[in-house]
This record gives sequence, structure tokens and C-alpha cells, in this order.
Amino acid sequence: MERWQVIALVIAAYLALTLTVGLLAGRRQSASVTGYVAGDRDFGLLVMYFVTGASVFSAFAFLGGPGWAYNRGAAAFYILSYGALGMFPFYWVGPRIARVGRRFGYVTQAQMLRGRFPSKALPVVVAVITLLASVPYVTLQMQGAGIVIEAVTDGHIPLAWGAAIAYGVVIWYVLQAGVMAVGWTNTFQGIFMLVMAWTLGLYLPFSIYGGVGPMFEGILAERPELLTLPGLTASGEPWTWAGYSSAILVSVIGLMMWPHLFMKAFTARSDRVLRRTVILFPTFQLFLIPVYLIGFSGVLFPESPADPDFILPFMVLRTGLPAIIVGLFCAGALSASMSTGDTVIHSAASVLVEDGLGPFIELTDAAQRRIMRLLVLVIGGVSYWLAISDTGSLVSLLLGAYGMICQLAPPVVAALYWKRATTAGVLWGLVLGTATAMFFVEYPDLRPSDMHEGIYGLLVNVSVLVGVSLLGRAQDEAHVATFFEAERAGATRAHE
Amino acid sequence: MSRRNARILGVVFFLANVVAVTWPGLVPFNRVRPFVLGLPFVMVWLTIWVLAAMIVLLVIDRAEHGDSED
Repeated sequence: MERWQVIALVIAAYLALTLTVGLLAGRRQSASVTGYVAGDRDFGLLVMYFVTGASVFSAFAFLGGPGWAYNRGAAAFYILSYGALGMFPFYWVGPRIARVGRRFGYVTQAQMLRGRFPSKALPVVVAVITLLASVPYVTLQMQGAGIVIEAVTDGHIPLAWGAAIAYGVVIWYVLQAGVMAVGWTNTFQGIFMLVMAWTLGLYLPFSIYGGVGPMFEGILAERPELLTLPGLTASGEPWTWAGYSSAILVSVIGLMMWPHLFMKAFTARSDRVLRRTVILFPTFQLFLIPVYLIGFSGVLFPESPADPDFILPFMVLRTGLPAIIVGLFCAGALSASMSTGDTVIHSAASVLVEDGLGPFIELTDAAQRRIMRLLVLVIGGVSYWLAISDTGSLVSLLLGAYGMICQLAPPVVAALYWKRATTAGVLWGLVLGTATAMFFVEYPDLRPSDMHEGIYGLLVNVSVLVGVSLLGRAQDEAHVATFFEAERAGATRAHE
Repeated sequence: MSRRNARILGVVFFLANVVAVTWPGLVPFNRVRPFVLGLPFVMVWLTIWVLAAMIVLLVIDRAEHGDSED
């Protein structure tokens, strides 16, 4: 058997195993919207830990992380810093969200916002932002999976086929089993990607340079600019401190606002599980260290890949590893792609039904689940079509994703912590903040400084939210009281 | 430590962490040497803050919830 065939077989075995885990997981879940979207609010610590970790770290971290370290050096370290920081406030915010969720039956972010700020427009705006940010994100994950499979099979399985096979599996288990499948496959995939990253991250420096220290000594002698912050831009120019620092800030604020992460607060069995998940998250975060080592190991390697994002499969294929091991590493990269892709597709479909349609049409529980499944297919299909066709137009949407998503933070904070906030203030802040961020993505040269466009969006968002709220009439006191009391009542219920 | 102090610790640590990993707080620690476990110093500095976040949350969790099973 040829080498690429052995590798393909290993990948096939991995995909079969993932599918089995996904399909088996769904058998325990109730046939309801709460079951399909929030796993009957019954995720324990093990699943919560991996569903959070594996969802945060996508193909971007596994392929892009080494790519950044290889090409842009220390600039890549921003990913290491924002994850733990972005998760930190969730220790308090997460349980608060979970309590109002239990009390009022919320399963999405916008349902919670609408509970505090009654408006039909608000959930629609959130659904539109979710869709605009999610589709390019899923597209990137599919391309990541396709790239890996194409590279390791010497092009025998082209990108279009590889992406179709990997995401065929994803769509299958998401359709069948909803968030329960996402939870258990992410547990399997998370363990897989952790083991593979650490093994490869230590193996490459030792086998090529005789150790991690000697590798960095070599880089320091020949490319010292790669080892100090803020590192380089994609084109090799020095990056600015404003660019580096604001990228961290926007990501910290935006991280938990991604619907696929935020909504996991509704899946936790208890506040205690949620808090433990946040506390343990930094241990998952450390997996970026071997990821960076993989990228740095390519810097002084005599050959270089066509695209920096290919550095991981490139190095794996050039170090004389047996075909079975190469297959396992690629399955690790697929794990990273699929464990993010599945949950983003699932939450986008859920948000569109609950928030895009929910406020306007009365739907039975069964009908909602049917439409969600249909939308899983539609979102998967559109993303696939974008992944295999020309993606020039996608790049700006993708760059803008974090800038848009972080605009959801001021409304969420206002809903939970600021009694004087009004519906008009939140809605206009969100719309104008998002528009500002999108504007600067389209016209980056007009930015007043090198800061991330999300920062300008947030400045507009918060000013409008506060200004319009204070100018308008305060919300009905009784209404606000119910919402804040529910928060406390929910806490009591959790004790029972 | 009281609940109130635990929250104050949380806010202070979060802000200190943000300053320590961005400009200008990061500048004094932005160096390659000394290597620690073979890694450039700045990489280790950033890693220490990731682990510190976990330890601080553990301390806060003890203070806010003790050993209660809520």
C-alpha cells in the first residue's frame, strides 16, 4: 500500500470513530428544543471542559497558530494572552446567565437580552450579526480540514473532497444529536488535539535542532526580530504596539460573546460546573505553547511551504515520520477544525430559529427542531460552497468577525448589571457600534490609528448605549425588578 | 477572605493581567534572555500570567463558595 493510502486510512478510522461517538451521545437527550440546543442543561465538568476548550481552539489555532509563529514570530503570542483573560469574567457572568436561563427557559443570548429589553428588532440584529460572523468562520474551518487532507494525501484527495467528507460527518452527527453530539465529540477531539500538539511540539525541536533551547538560540542568532513583541505583520514589516494590544483587548471582550461559547452557559448542569470550567480553562490554553514550537521549528528549516498556514502538515511530512503517525497528527488538526465547526454551525442554526423567527411566528417545539436541522444543512451547504469557490470577498468578513462579535458585550453587561439601561440605548448602541466596526474593516486606511476596528466600534457602542439610555425614560421598575429578582431566585433554585 | 474582598481581588487581578500582557506593562519584560526551560523569557512571562489566572480563580472560588455543593 502506498504511503498516502495508509495516511488516508488512519484519517478514515478517526472520522468513523468521531461519528460513532457523536451518534451514540445523542441517544440520551430529550426530544425538545432545550435538549437539542442546551443538552437538557445537564453537561458535567468533563464535557464542559472539553467543549469549551475545543470550541475556542479551532483550525485557526492549530494551523494558523504555527503559521503565525513561523511567519510573524512573537505576534502569535496574543492568542496565548487573550484566551485566559477572555474567560476570566465568565466566572461571575456565566452563572448569572445560567440562572436567568433556568428561570425563564432561555437557550440563546438574544432571548436573554430580549427578556431584559423587550424588542423584536433586538434579537433580529443579534441573529444577523451571528450569521455574518459565523458563516466565514465555518468556511475557514472547512478549508482548514480540506487543506490538511489534500496536503497529506499528496493531492490524491483534493480540498473539495476532503472538506466534504470531514464536514459530511459533522453535519450528520449535529443533525442527529444536536449539542449532545457536539459535547461528546469535542471531548474526544479535545483529548486528541492536546496529545497530538504536545507530542509534535516537543518532537520537532528535538529531532531537528536537538532541543527547544538550541532551536531558539539559532533563531535568536539569525532572526532575532521574531522573538520579541510585537512581532511582525503578515508581510514581514514590524507590527505596532497599538495593533498588538488592541487585538488582545478586542479578543478578550469578544471571546465569550461568540454564541457558540456564550450559549454553553445554558448547558451546564450547575453553577459549580460552570465555575470549575472557567477555573480549569488555562490548562487547556497552555496547548498553544507546543503549537508555537511547531511553527518556530520551521523558521530555520531549509525549505519553506507555499503558504505559512501549511507549516504544520509541511513539517510533519518532512521529518521522516511513519505514515500512521502522520495520519494521527492530521487527525489532530481535523479535530481542531471539526470541534469548532460543529458547534458554530449548531449555534448559528439555533440562533436563527430562536431569534430570527421566534419573535414573529409561534412554532411548536417539534417544528423548531425541524427548522433548526434544515438550517444546519443550509449553513453547512453555504459555507461549503464558499470554501471551495473563490474566497477573496470573504477575507474582509472574516477579519471583521471579532470586531462585530465583541459589540454584543455592552448589551450583555448592561442587561445583567445596569438597571438604568434602556431598550433604545442598547439597540442603537449595538447597531451603530457594529456599523462603525464594519466601516473600518472596509476602509482600514481611514482608521485614526493602527488600533483594531472593534475598539472604535466599542467606543461608539458604549457612548450611544449610555447616552441614549440616560436621555430616555428609565425602564419600568417592576419589569427590571423581575429580571434582577429572577437572577436571585434562580440562584436559590440552584441550591435545591 | 470575605466575598467582597474576593471580588475586589478578581477585578484588581484582571486589570493587572491586562496591563502586564499589553503595552506599556509588557515592555520591561519583552526580552529573549534569560531562557527558561529553553523558551524565550517573554513567552514564559505570558505563560505565567495564564497560570496565575487559574490560581487566582481557585483562591476566589474557595473564598466565595468554600466547600459548599451549590
